Amino acid sequence: MGKYLTKRILFSIFSLLVVVMVVMLLVYNLTNRNAIFQTDDLWNKKSGNDRSYYEYMQYQKFGYLEFVSYSSFLSDKYKKQIGDNYDQSDAFLTDKNAIKHPEQYEKNNSVKEFTEKYESAGYSITYLAPETYANGRAKPGSTAYLIAVKENGPFLRLWEYLKGFISFESTNDVKDPKLTDRYVRFEHDPYSGMFAIVGSGTTHKYQLYFDGSFPFIHQHWMHVNLGTSYTKYRGQEISNVITASQGDLKKQKLQYPKMLGTDQYVETATEIHSLTYNPEPTDVERSQFYDNYTSATLNKKDPSMIGTSFIMGLAATLIAYLLGLPLGIRMARKKDKLADKLGNLYIIFIMSVPSLAYIFMVAAFGTRLFGLPYKFANATVPILAYILPTISLALPSIGSLMKWMRRYMIDQMNSDYVKFARAEGLSEGEIYRKHISRNAIIFLVQGVPASILGCLTGAIITERVYSVPGVGNLLTTALNGHDNGIIIACTVFYTFLSILSIILGDLLLVKFDPRISLSGERGGGR
Amino acid sequence: MINVQDLQNKSQDELFYFVGTDVVSSEKIIAPRYSYWRSVFRVFFRKKINIVLLVFLALILFMSFVVPIFCPYDTFENVHVAKTFNLSPTDAMNYFGGFSLKYILGTGNYGNSIAYGIMSSARISLLLATICAAINMTAGILMGAVWGYSKKVDAVMLVIYNIVANVPYILLITVLVYVIGSGFWQFVLALTITGWLPIAFFFRTQVMIIRDREYSLASRCLGTPISRIVSKNILPFLTSVIVTMLATELPSYISMEVFLSYIGIGLSAEVPSLGRMISEAQSAFLVFPWAFWAPVAIASAITIILYVLGQNLADASDPRTHM
Repeated sequence: MGKYLTKRILFSIFSLLVVVMVVMLLVYNLTNRNAIFQTDDLWNKKSGNDRSYYEYMQYQKFGYLEFVSYSSFLSDKYKKQIGDNYDQSDAFLTDKNAIKHPEQYEKNNSVKEFTEKYESAGYSITYLAPETYANGRAKPGSTAYLIAVKENGPFLRLWEYLKGFISFESTNDVKDPKLTDRYVRFEHDPYSGMFAIVGSGTTHKYQLYFDGSFPFIHQHWMHVNLGTSYTKYRGQEISNVITASQGDLKKQKLQYPKMLGTDQYVETATEIHSLTYNPEPTDVERSQFYDNYTSATLNKKDPSMIGTSFIMGLAATLIAYLLGLPLGIRMARKKDKLADKLGNLYIIFIMSVPSLAYIFMVAAFGTRLFGLPYKFANATVPILAYILPTISLALPSIGSLMKWMRRYMIDQMNSDYVKFARAEGLSEGEIYRKHISRNAIIFLVQGVPASILGCLTGAIITERVYSVPGVGNLLTTALNGHDNGIIIACTVFYTFLSILSIILGDLLLVKFDPRISLSGERGGGR
Repeated sequence: MINVQDLQNKSQDELFYFVGTDVVSSEKIIAPRYSYWRSVFRVFFRKKINIVLLVFLALILFMSFVVPIFCPYDTFENVHVAKTFNLSPTDAMNYFGGFSLKYILGTGNYGNSIAYGIMSSARISLLLATICAAINMTAGILMGAVWGYSKKVDAVMLVIYNIVANVPYILLITVLVYVIGSGFWQFVLALTITGWLPIAFFFRTQVMIIRDREYSLASRCLGTPISRIVSKNILPFLTSVIVTMLATELPSYISMEVFLSYIGIGLSAEVPSLGRMISEAQSAFLVFPWAFWAPVAIASAITIILYVLGQNLADASDPRTHM
């Protein structure tokens, strides 16, 4: 079993990598890149070399390529040599203006240095020559540019991505030379009343701590970086975007470290356990903290994007199992009677009608008949906003669970063991409850992890219809906005969940039914 | 009535006599003629609901394929007349001068006639569903048969399947739409390029189950070629499974088109489609409900009819119901 599992996990990692590579190939190499300029006003206003240069800049921003311009290279070079006033120096200006002369720019030493440096690093050098009219006046947008461009292939791109995927904090994270005392140690945490692992020199102060919110034990030591958003959440990491709380600030009474022991407190939304290093704290911060760990994130009232989707999805899954399974059993018991026919009618409706249709029906009925809030943000009582989306999510799952439960029950009803149980004189209720449904449920067990983990990916249509601030539309909005970082992150996340849920489902199946063997050592598999 | 008393009085010779042998008719095997498909349709038409649904389907086909020839639809017909946007049926008919069938359902976002729009859109949806289902089912069944029969192919295809099944479906379609455009045929390509894989995977499992049945083994021992075993032993057994699959596949493409149009990666604007009509009307669905519910109702009607007819045909195509 252990060997089988290891093999399977290794194979899963392999397919995950291939999926990511295929998606990278699709997104970066097959998509028409010019599409990002379709709605770009700045691009429309520019022309000539300026436009080409702008295109390269945007391509870099969207992650298609890496590029370095000659002017930024010069700035770096002279800043190091001369200092902050480098842009007044003659040498800098001479070098900067050298590229304005297409015939002799290559003779300039800095240009040579730039070309050599980046060509050896695998970049290709492009020179955008200035253009002039016959009378010597410059054409609009015809500034001269010298740039180095490198485009990574799918393999290199994947490698770069994997390199930054998991990172660990260490005591050398903070580069400030003023910080001399670097350590990681156990300390008493006055905010939780328990111990905490506290670091100095690490990015976050609290490496491991306890608090009152789920899952009660938290850490900042290991960090998974799914990718960075390019446009929608400018430069933020997607794992932070989807897990950060949303909405209005949640202010609480808090005593900063220097206030502890006194009766002073402040009304603030600061999350004390998220402290990070601040090289130059303000005087106010110095009066509150003993050390330089003073920057913190703010607590907000509403759950995070992924939290919202998960709460909603979990509630829907729970409803679906609690209703779908008993109804399916009922249908099987009353086969070809009224209950079965009504159930079938529902199943046909849910299976065949476009999901959009019944979601809007739920929305229309819920708002007209019960006065429930339609759009998520308009809800006066926050919990009411969850009702209609949860019902919309549960409807199809109920239908499919009913369908399969009924099917498996009916298949089991003609088995020999049922006839035997009947011959032994067991009551019908006992046979259904203790024998048939237990055997029928085995087939549905495998899907349980998938339906729970699936809640983490959100629901596209439901969240759109009710304007739910969840993760369901992350991928679709990223696709429309060409936010390639989010697309890759979503793919990794979805693929990981899908693979994990299949493995967990199989393990659960074995746990429920000892007759099944996955590894082929026992049982009749081939 | 035969009197028992009379019979008892008669002797053996009076009761029985030789009729002789008819050489010609003794050569014939007298059994009721069995034609598989005739039996299927006999069972199918026994249910009255099927006839009703078929009439509805014929009506929908007539409305969507024949009527639009005489009632051409143009989404942007009244786009320059802002007064015609989002009118209720009565308002629309008042504006356009008296009762007309064209405006019996009012106008949509661009002053377009919803009634005509639905008919033209339904044609596109039905065509899309039929073509995609035909391509995916054919490719899926053929590939699934090979995949299930050959263990070498199985090893390779499983790896491919695991990878392709994990690439988000929307992502694949979006990228394809970006690369090849969003016309009707491009959309068909986007839906079929990997759409056959899940079908093939499903058939692979079914074929594997039947592959190792005794009668297939016997055929193999007698030296039947593999192609013949697959086409004569295995596929006929799967007819009802294939029809069940078709019953769920056909409507699923209509739902898929509605879904994709709703999230903004559907067919291009010049192709009238139910999904586009629904997604354009949904923003105002509480204010102008007719523009939203009319295409939704038609899309639902088409999918339900196709689904139920398909399921019933699948039931009828199972030979065990032919008694």
